[in-house]
Amino acid sequence: MRSLGSVAHSVCRASPLVLRGCGSGAAAGTQHSLTSSHTPTITWTPSLTSVRFRYHSEKLARGPLIRNYGYEEKLWKGGLMPHIDQNKRLPIPLYRPKNIWTERRALFGQNDYIDILGSGELHPTQVAYSVPPWLRGFKGNEYQMLLRKRKIFDTSTRRLVHTSGRGHKSLQCDTCLYFVMVAVGPKLNMKCQL
Amino acid sequence: MSLTLRLAFHPRLHNVVRNFVTSCSKGAADTVVVPKSSGTPLIIEDKWKDDTGAVEDREAWVETLDNSTDSTQRGLIHLNPRIFASYPRLDVIHENVVWQNKSRMVNYAHTKHRSEVRGGGKKPWPQKGTGRSRHGSIRSPLWKGGGVVHGPRAFTTHFYMLPYHKRVRGLISTLSAKFAQDDIKIVENLDMPSDEAGYLEQLCEDRYWGPSVLFVDESDIMPRNITLATDTLGHMNLMPVYGLNVYSMLKHTTLVLTVGATRLVEEKLLYNLDRPDGRSLLTRFRK
Repeated sequence: MRSLGSVAHSVCRASPLVLRGCGSGAAAGTQHSLTSSHTPTITWTPSLTSVRFRYHSEKLARGPLIRNYGYEEKLWKGGLMPHIDQNKRLPIPLYRPKNIWTERRALFGQNDYIDILGSGELHPTQVAYSVPPWLRGFKGNEYQMLLRKRKIFDTSTRRLVHTSGRGHKSLQCDTCLYFVMVAVGPKLNMKCQL
Repeated sequence: MSLTLRLAFHPRLHNVVRNFVTSCSKGAADTVVVPKSSGTPLIIEDKWKDDTGAVEDREAWVETLDNSTDSTQRGLIHLNPRIFASYPRLDVIHENVVWQNKSRMVNYAHTKHRSEVRGGGKKPWPQKGTGRSRHGSIRSPLWKGGGVVHGPRAFTTHFYMLPYHKRVRGLISTLSAKFAQDDIKIVENLDMPSDEAGYLEQLCEDRYWGPSVLFVDESDIMPRNITLATDTLGHMNLMPVYGLNVYSMLKHTTLVLTVGATRLVEEKLLYNLDRPDGRSLLTRFRK
């Protein structure tokens, strides 16, 4: 398929006589011939103005358009992950499954139905040995919990050995909370069994 | 003996599950197909007080832990359908497990209040004059390193008591579910000829008793041999009847009950199902 450029060129190169359809098919660039018997022919060279500067053939010659030139795709090319480099440990911790058959875990919940299946004298809160003694069968907010702790331990001869570093602040915390509670007006719903 | 279920017309038995166990050859009520064994066949029946006869008793083999006899099966036991064949309430079982976990949980997580964090008694800079924002203490919750306002406070308990009858229903549902899935094995007693852990493991392996087994007996003093055998095995545990609970029954794949333990459990649960002072148990737990 001829490109447009080549067509145009051929048209331009065509002799004016051919274009105009006059003359007797003489070759391009006819000249005036004095010696010829014919009357001198008037040649007309049309003024050429380029109307197009891009030609498809040149585009094809350039080749396909390169997109994203200079873009560097950030892909890990270092092989399979995780890779061990000089026997370094992985950044994630080792999986250590817990032993679910330790005595504590195997016998969890053992005497929770002792009031149903036992003689009926014992309540499950009385045999909850894993719970601190002053918290067995108790639920309350922080103030109620501290009150209960003080009621049980400050009167008894046996003192708490480990008070988690808050022993000396216990009373202060109590009174501070007390003033707050009085202002707000709480409901002391203490579910407890001594 | 056939294990089919007649339609229950009694209003209290509207929750009885349809029995899908395959039927065996029908014989007379009292005959038991027992292979050649030295002892006489053992048929343990019981006439419960409220036995209306509308629902047939469930039956289970009575086995021994003694492999040296000809046959490990000693006979048959009748089980009360109200305990071992009631409809398993999965929601009630779930509630029981959640209760068991939460009621004895103590959260020891603790964050310091602004008054407990060290320092922060002095006003860092005057109220006015400096271009900075006004502050009273360097340990206020606004500051980095300051106290936490509503953080966890140590020794937080989540104790509550599930209603009495829900706990009874939880036990019954779990027993029924386990029985329906063939995870309950009735045993004459916990006497074993050997005190080795290997003997017990091999026994459980041969009989396809699950990876974990819970042996339940009436009293809390168990025979010597089984105590020694299960001592080193974490997945095989011993429990008295009063220690039985929903969580343990679900944790262990197989539940092995002695005949005495079965009868005791039935007696306790049946009493609690229709006890006359039931209303007094509906009060909230206090003191």
